Amino acid sequence: MSVIEVRNLNKVYRTRIKEAGLRASFRALVRPVYKEVQAVKDISFTVEKGEILAFIGPNGAGKSTTIKMLTGILHPSGGELSVLGLNPMRDRQKLSYHIGTVFGQKSQLWFHLPPIDSFVLLGAIYDIDKGTLKKRIDELTERFELEDLLKTPVRKLSLGQRIRCEVAASLLHDPEILFLDEPTIGLDVVVKQSIRELILAMNRERGTTIFLTSHDAGDIAKVCKRAIVIDHGQIILDQPVKKLKYDYLNRKHIAVRFEVPQHLEVPRGVKLEKSSQMAARLSVDTRICSIDEAMRWLIAQGGVADITVEDPPMEEIIASIFQGKGGEAS
Amino acid sequence: MRALRKYGTVLRLSLQNAFVYRSNVIGGFLFYTVFIFVFFNLWRAIYREGQVAGYSLTQMVWYLCMTELIMFGCKSNIYGQMNEEVKSGSIAYQLNKPYHYVVYQFFNAAGGMLFNLIIYGILAIILGMIMVGPIPGFRLANLPFALISALLGMVINFFFLMTLGLTSFRLEENFAFFLIYQKLVFMLGMFIPVEFLPGWLQGITRCLPFPYVTWAPARLIVAFSWEFFREVLPVQFLWALVSVLSALGMYRYGVAGIQAHGG
Repeated sequence: MSVIEVRNLNKVYRTRIKEAGLRASFRALVRPVYKEVQAVKDISFTVEKGEILAFIGPNGAGKSTTIKMLTGILHPSGGELSVLGLNPMRDRQKLSYHIGTVFGQKSQLWFHLPPIDSFVLLGAIYDIDKGTLKKRIDELTERFELEDLLKTPVRKLSLGQRIRCEVAASLLHDPEILFLDEPTIGLDVVVKQSIRELILAMNRERGTTIFLTSHDAGDIAKVCKRAIVIDHGQIILDQPVKKLKYDYLNRKHIAVRFEVPQHLEVPRGVKLEKSSQMAARLSVDTRICSIDEAMRWLIAQGGVADITVEDPPMEEIIASIFQGKGGEAS
Repeated sequence: MRALRKYGTVLRLSLQNAFVYRSNVIGGFLFYTVFIFVFFNLWRAIYREGQVAGYSLTQMVWYLCMTELIMFGCKSNIYGQMNEEVKSGSIAYQLNKPYHYVVYQFFNAAGGMLFNLIIYGILAIILGMIMVGPIPGFRLANLPFALISALLGMVINFFFLMTLGLTSFRLEENFAFFLIYQKLVFMLGMFIPVEFLPGWLQGITRCLPFPYVTWAPARLIVAFSWEFFREVLPVQFLWALVSVLSALGMYRYGVAGIQAHGG
């Protein structure tokens, strides 16, 4: 069952433009000139219930514009849009009871008051009865480990602690879809990981559909099952995260450490990125040389102390898509 | 019932939030006291004896205490906040919540306004008593009616300022309108009672919303009469309605064309 259906969605912004200089300023005052910017061009996709979708792209690609249209904040300029069977713009209020939103840079907590007060307020705003609200707060407090934070004014929380409270706040009304716009921006590795785990847990336990935009390759690789890549307002890729990795960087990174000094003569398809006598970092083009072949060759060298095989980081994958290298990534 | 709980909680939280700004209160107390003291001396110099346009010196000083109190009670920064929220685009993030943005903002500000009204009210009474003593002919039983008028005045002021703030949806700079509004409220009823104005101007002033923010309630406190109450209350209701409708209209007009970029 699809919970989000988007067909030929468009968004055009009209912005005022002005050339440099005093004369241009005067001219702009008398006769303003507008320029049309197409932020989202004819995009179509559907999201199934319980899916975890990453919506990725560089700055200004149209990610946030799309999320804002899906949550009823922005009017689309054209196309069709349905979220949980509702039209987000027409049924914004009705829809708001069933979706949760976290905008990484905008807080929904009261800055000077402890999070518990904001939770109570959100409970009232979402018409959650007092008993259910208390139960829900207890649940989320335990799950998100908020006991020590609940009564501390938000201004005294660290960014990581605050985001944990933000995500919890957006889940109070048990939404069917959670929209996360750059939720891990500015967080350190450990906190990022804990936020990711929480999002995954919510998906597993409650079947919450997750729609996530991010710059962070880790968010996508570690959380999402499917990725839509958007650039200049157009979808340039829509496929499982696994396939995305497979198609767009047919490479594995191998780090190897030897017990005895080695001089490596690499076979075809393997590139020596970095090496010393006791260690090496290799990049394997799996289309030419399979991992199996590469490992056999390495072991055959003798004296291997340690091997680590890694997928290339998501940054590289996205960069290669944007650079238009596509399947020819080398 | 649900709406009552929803906005009631907003009001309670905003009241709680008002207690955070303690240093603001101290600064405000100082400003209020200096302002009243300066004008107390001015009026003392003007009044040799008797009355001016029906106000005795005692009434005049209390009038000033009350109009200034209502202005402090009205202090909500709603104009600045609307401007900021519209220009920064953060208003967009509040649209997908199940509440009415305009109503939410009113209750969000109401806590702070109520808080101000109470604490500056205490200061106003102390200052008035010290400078000129009790208001002649004041009856506590009439106070609730004057308070209704004061609350209506605050509503009128709040929603007109909100409307002005929300014009930033379409105007790049609206500060001039804010200044004009502020000065009109100050000159037409706050600084001096409407009765002090020349006859022709009085006629015009009574047709405008500005004196109904402070003049009507302050006069009801210093010189209560049922006749005046019956005369001004319907007008205040009317202006309150106009102000609320104008804020709602401006909001709808603005939101229809909202353009929130990036994020």
